[in-house]
Amino acid sequence: MTTPILEVRGISKRFGGVQAVKDLSFTVGKGEILGLLGPNGAGKTTAFNMIAGFLRPDAGTVLLDGINIAGKRPWDVCKAGIARTFQLSKPFGDLNVIENLMVGGFCRTSDRGKIRERAEWMADFLGMGRQREAEANNLTAFDRRKLELGRALCTEPRLLLMDEVVAGATPSEASEMVELVRRIRGMGISVLIVEHVMKVIMSLSDRVVVLDYGELIADGEPQRVVAEPRVLKAYFGERYVQSRA
Amino acid sequence: MNTRSITAPQRSVAGLPMGALAAGLGFGCVALIPLLMDDPFLIHSLIMVLFFAYMASAWNFLCGYVGQLSLGHAMFSGVGGYVSVLMFTQLGLSPWIGMLFGGLLAAALSVLIGYPTFRLKGPYFTLTTIAFAEIVRIWVENTNDFIGVPLKGAEGLVVPAAGDSLWAFQFSSKTPYFYIILVMLVLVMLATRLMERSKLGYCLKAVRGDRDAAEALGINPTPSTLTALAISAFMTALGGSFYAQFFRYINPERNMGLELSIDMAVMTIIGGQGTVAGPLLGALILTPISEMARGHLGGGLPGLHLVVYGLVLMACVLYFPKGAIAPLGRLVRRLTDRRGSRP
Amino acid sequence: MDPLILSFAVVNGVLLGGIYGGVALGLSLIFGVLRVVNFAHGSFLMLSLYIAFWCWSLLGLDPYLSVIVTVPAMFALGYFVQSVIISPLIRRERALVVEPLSALLLTAGVFLVLDNLALMAFGPNVRAVQADYYLPSPMLGSIPLNPQRLIGALAAVLVALGLSWWLRRSHMGRAIRATAQNRDAAALSGINVPFVYAVTFGIGCAVLGLFGSLIAPFMPISPSIGVAFGIKSFIVVVLGGLGSIPGCIVGGMVIGVFEAVASQHITATSAAIGSLGLFILILLVRPQGIMGRA
Repeated sequence: MTTPILEVRGISKRFGGVQAVKDLSFTVGKGEILGLLGPNGAGKTTAFNMIAGFLRPDAGTVLLDGINIAGKRPWDVCKAGIARTFQLSKPFGDLNVIENLMVGGFCRTSDRGKIRERAEWMADFLGMGRQREAEANNLTAFDRRKLELGRALCTEPRLLLMDEVVAGATPSEASEMVELVRRIRGMGISVLIVEHVMKVIMSLSDRVVVLDYGELIADGEPQRVVAEPRVLKAYFGERYVQSRA
Repeated sequence: MNTRSITAPQRSVAGLPMGALAAGLGFGCVALIPLLMDDPFLIHSLIMVLFFAYMASAWNFLCGYVGQLSLGHAMFSGVGGYVSVLMFTQLGLSPWIGMLFGGLLAAALSVLIGYPTFRLKGPYFTLTTIAFAEIVRIWVENTNDFIGVPLKGAEGLVVPAAGDSLWAFQFSSKTPYFYIILVMLVLVMLATRLMERSKLGYCLKAVRGDRDAAEALGINPTPSTLTALAISAFMTALGGSFYAQFFRYINPERNMGLELSIDMAVMTIIGGQGTVAGPLLGALILTPISEMARGHLGGGLPGLHLVVYGLVLMACVLYFPKGAIAPLGRLVRRLTDRRGSRP
Repeated sequence: MDPLILSFAVVNGVLLGGIYGGVALGLSLIFGVLRVVNFAHGSFLMLSLYIAFWCWSLLGLDPYLSVIVTVPAMFALGYFVQSVIISPLIRRERALVVEPLSALLLTAGVFLVLDNLALMAFGPNVRAVQADYYLPSPMLGSIPLNPQRLIGALAAVLVALGLSWWLRRSHMGRAIRATAQNRDAAALSGINVPFVYAVTFGIGCAVLGLFGSLIAPFMPISPSIGVAFGIKSFIVVVLGGLGSIPGCIVGGMVIGVFEAVASQHITATSAAIGSLGLFILILLVRPQGIMGRA
């Protein structure tokens, strides 16, 4: 079996009196789409931020293709090959779409012409070809999400971390996003996606891992995991779980 | 803050980029003025406009693009002026060389100050820059002698007359100064234009847009912002040296004071920060007001020009947050859309 | 260092510091509620000093009595400045990400206008109120207390206490605190936010009006006094904690004592540089100050 693109080993994080993440371990295979699920407060965002370099793990390692990146600053993590989106999209407001997309390219090369070409290609890929000159502040919320995705992709990552990309999206927008993520995987990029919308997770993920109170409680195929009693208990509480024969 | 996309294919006339052509024509005309008109008062006024445009552009190089408001830049101008004058009077070094030393010292000082200060956000950053600049100014203002170097405190330094000498950066006529500051301004604006399109420019604009997002895209804010700061400080210091040589006099209040810092910032903001021509526009608008208020009203109303500055600043923040260059840019584009050829 | 001289310096430093704290109260309140750094803070104090002066020189009103003029006048001015000049900015910023720099620039504009209008109207000459009566100096042990400073310091403590109490107990005070914590939630709860902002700004300036009258008896009055007090107020507020009312008084007293003791050992210049240096240090190391919440 080939090395997984991402191997998280025993990461933990404590905030004051709260153990947000406890001894978490999982892997993301090359070319795989892994869903990260869990009820609110389960520690998904904390784990996410530790992998992306925005938080330093108290313990454990994060191996990207075998190299430990735990504790590295976000820009080094990006250069190593991990890109991320933000839950509340953070566009560069007074730059236009193309300029936003170009920013990511500068981390790989200094050739402005090539960067611009790639940005133009990316704009078309996102379906935003006609909005190239639009100022990011004037985009709709969903377009900003797409822009955020495109920006991350321009850094030529090997692993893409996506944080709730379809929150607040209409059904057709969600479908569009799902299609985009599939095409991204088709480009050879592995994806780790945190999501609440079940429909998206079920249709996209090859595998899911579920967190509850900072610990891993399930890991496997979406259809199987979702029916596991432990998972149901985490989401709905003990009363609503009926064990299946 | 860019009002027109700097990545769009340039409009061209006869194969040459239109913006550059217009700029070249404009500066060419300006360069002819001293040859056509022999009015020293006019030349002096133009020099002041160009000087403030230069200083505002140097300020804009950092602050316009990184989105932080420094109100302490005057300290770099002071360092530049004092170093070049003292090297001339104490070591007999040509001010041209002294200028470079002053610039380098200012750049070093800026990095020292900038490194801890850039962590601060918004108003806290601004207040800290004011505090640093005031510390420098108060210290110089109250120090007569520092390890044998005569700083002369509030009295200021007079540059001894050396007649008409290129080496000593002194001329009997105002015209050479005019050309020197014109060239300096063109160079600064060119440097800004180059930076805007470069990796450094994109890094700064990304950090200004959203620091977290910039970091996630592989940008370490610190080297980019400190580099821009050092360059900005260097250029500001050169301006300070020019001022010292033009007036043959510098003192802490005029060259290191809060008023100069405010001038640089307000002119850029009113003209349009984060653009190449904004600072020049701001200087073109505000310097005549200031000269008029100072001179023509008989000097009987001290502070009038600052009242006007204040009103213009307030109007700008409320109604023209992107500066005067925004409506102007739109006007230019609407005019050229109908007439110029587009690729 | 003679202990008597030192204790004299410390005690009078505490008194003067208390006054600094009182002067800085408005700045802290305005920042705590509106999140606006009021660059024109010193200018308002300068104006109230002039009002107190003209009350004395034209109407023969004792500076302490001029409070009945300065406080309402400054409240009105503050209310006006907020509702006419600053509120359009806050209204505009709601839609986009809030840019605190715009507020700073706007109040900087107000500062430029006020300070220089005063310069144009009143001239740069220094004026002073001449008291025609004599206040006895109460003694603290063997240390004489400057009566005018004592009055000012006591007023500062009383105003701080009163303001804290009022903010906690009164309906308007609760509205102000709610708006400070969450503007949108407050609006949704039926609080008239623009009115709250205007009242807060008015109160901040009214406090300056009070202290203008209180320090007029011993402070030289000129247009440039605004900047000096403005800078001092910023240092006090940052030291004590932006948005904290007791912090203002504490911060003020620390600065007052620091200046008084320092001026015994080092020059006034170095003391000024020391204050600025302390200001920078606090911002870099402990930005919430002594008593502030971040």
